[in-house]
Amino acid sequence: MEQLDLLMQGFAGALTPINLLWVVVGCLLGTAVGVLPGLGSSMAVALLLPMTFALDPTAAFILFAGVYFGGLFGDSTMAILLNTPGQASAIASTFEGHRMASSGRAPQALATAAIGAFIGGMIASILVVFLSPTLVALSSAFGPAEFFALALFAFVATSSVVSDNVLKGLAALIFGIGITVIGVDGVSGLPRFTLGLPQVFDGISLVTVTVAVLALGEVLYIASRVRRVKEDLHVRKGEGRPFLSRREFADAAPAWARGTAIGLPFGVIPAGGAEVPTFLAYEAERRIDRRRKLPMFGKGAIRGLAAPEAAGNATTGMAMGALLALGLPVSATAAIMLAAFRQYGLQPGPLLFENSADLVWPLLASFFLAMVVLLIINLPFAQLWAKLLLIPKPQLYAGIALFCGLGIWATSGAVFDLLLLLGIAVVGFLMRRYDYPVAPLMIGMVLGPLAETSLRDALLSSVGDPRVLVASPIAIVIYGLLAVVVALSARAAVRKRMRRDV
Amino acid sequence: MTDDRPVPAEHSAAGQSDGDAEQPEGERGAAAPSAEGQGFWHGRSALLMPALLTAFSLFLLIGAAVIPAGDTDFPGPRFFPIILGCAGLVLAALLALGVLRTPEPVAETSGRSFRTHSDFVSLAWVVGGFLAFALLLPWLGWILAGALVFWCTAHGFGSRRPLFDILTALFLSSVIYLVFGTGLGLNLPSGILGGGF
Repeated sequence: MEQLDLLMQGFAGALTPINLLWVVVGCLLGTAVGVLPGLGSSMAVALLLPMTFALDPTAAFILFAGVYFGGLFGDSTMAILLNTPGQASAIASTFEGHRMASSGRAPQALATAAIGAFIGGMIASILVVFLSPTLVALSSAFGPAEFFALALFAFVATSSVVSDNVLKGLAALIFGIGITVIGVDGVSGLPRFTLGLPQVFDGISLVTVTVAVLALGEVLYIASRVRRVKEDLHVRKGEGRPFLSRREFADAAPAWARGTAIGLPFGVIPAGGAEVPTFLAYEAERRIDRRRKLPMFGKGAIRGLAAPEAAGNATTGMAMGALLALGLPVSATAAIMLAAFRQYGLQPGPLLFENSADLVWPLLASFFLAMVVLLIINLPFAQLWAKLLLIPKPQLYAGIALFCGLGIWATSGAVFDLLLLLGIAVVGFLMRRYDYPVAPLMIGMVLGPLAETSLRDALLSSVGDPRVLVASPIAIVIYGLLAVVVALSARAAVRKRMRRDV
Repeated sequence: MTDDRPVPAEHSAAGQSDGDAEQPEGERGAAAPSAEGQGFWHGRSALLMPALLTAFSLFLLIGAAVIPAGDTDFPGPRFFPIILGCAGLVLAALLALGVLRTPEPVAETSGRSFRTHSDFVSLAWVVGGFLAFALLLPWLGWILAGALVFWCTAHGFGSRRPLFDILTALFLSSVIYLVFGTGLGLNLPSGILGGGF
């Protein structure tokens, strides 16, 4: 049991007082931003990214892991109490979760969500620990052609599955990949698209784009609507024991299990994160519920909340495994984590486990700690977290704008990057205003260089023969899966359109 | 799949209201009575995005053309940007066609009607504040410039307590200066407060 030994060493590394402090700080911060409406964990990680300059890698990633999972817990708290999901992955939890809260069962709903997220995240973390050697072995079989296939899969799947409109998703993707070709070309060493500006010779920093699109762009979008939208900020209160009765527990348990099972595989599929599995888990529970004697859906069914919560965190946990072992980000948040690794000069992937074992295993151990800490700070105190809504919006978003500026100044120290930040943030605002998804932009920005270099490497080695791209069985399997994903989302789109016409 | 999900009973979630272009005509009419007769541009300002994409694609294509890549092997530095640029142009055309055929007016959810969907006054405060912050930071120093961006953003968001905001802004930017500048050793400019007179 080599894995267990390594994990135990990881725990030894993570259980130092200072690292424990970072876990707790990360969990508190993550829950806080998750609870605040409109802010999700990806924005929190984006804003924290520049802090990497001040921390050592282990501490920084432990902090990020706490924020990452904490954001998910906080999102679902608000989805239940207020019907405002902070991220797309919490939407499925609002349906039955908010109904439970409205009918006076808020504590039970919060407990169901927290336990579901805990179970999903725990099982995913355990799987990551034991599957990581397999994933590493698998990824060593990957050459340029396979990596290109994988990047293409990520591009198309994110653009078509996550967004309602495939064209808008692809347009966002073009923006994302297009930004990455600016700067000196890695293969030939020639400068491209620099307009003669020495500031962009190294390319446009992923940190700048991330903070611009996810944080400052969001601030601009909210500014454009804040004085026109009246929000219902009435928090559903719940009295009584914040825990489940034995019957409720028995009711929710199979749903937690099914949700976890649905969520796990999506962690390694680069299809834009936890939104799809949460909806799939919700749908599965609804179908099962219809066949029961007393259908509960629509009246606050505990299972309709338990399954998506477990699925969401299972996906998120597995996604961290895919990121560490394959170097493959499957969601926007994972993409930012990848950027953080690069800030430290680390490249996630097979070599990370060999070269930086002293970083990887404490990080994996901190997942488990983060889950426990989050369960402790969320289960009894969910109503306290809701008090964060008392922060007035003007001061909250002013603070976020200030932190955007601080973060970019910290990483670059140049006025040019601040102006770039503002410019890209305006594009991010326009994308939100006209309903363009930002996830494809992030994925394109992160995987664009991988796609370009692997495509060119593959073609260079075959002297321009494109058949090299489909020469290996792994690449063919990936393209086959891609075809299935495209066919499924096309079918869903057609069905949606037909339903609308009726 | 995810297509027939129920809408929450009380009200749709805050962040989603923007995309509700598919609402039944009746509801939209009630929310924005002056929806008709607003001219060609009503619901067609979304053409801005295809225009932006076209400009970006042209930037990629023209930029690729001027790369001095004479003697590089076949998939050289031009190869990938040209694919992107062409794909971008096709997408922009398709998106523009879509907007022209079916405009996407956004249903006004607040019950009142405005000339524009976005509040450009608020936006101008936030963007202007940040622009001033970026340009003045080396000269004003972190504390004053940071307080400026905080105050402008808060004002743009509709805060009506200017004095309170000034105090909060100065307090927050000073705390950041102490924690990150003095504590963590980040190089934050001290500007005119640092004896630059």
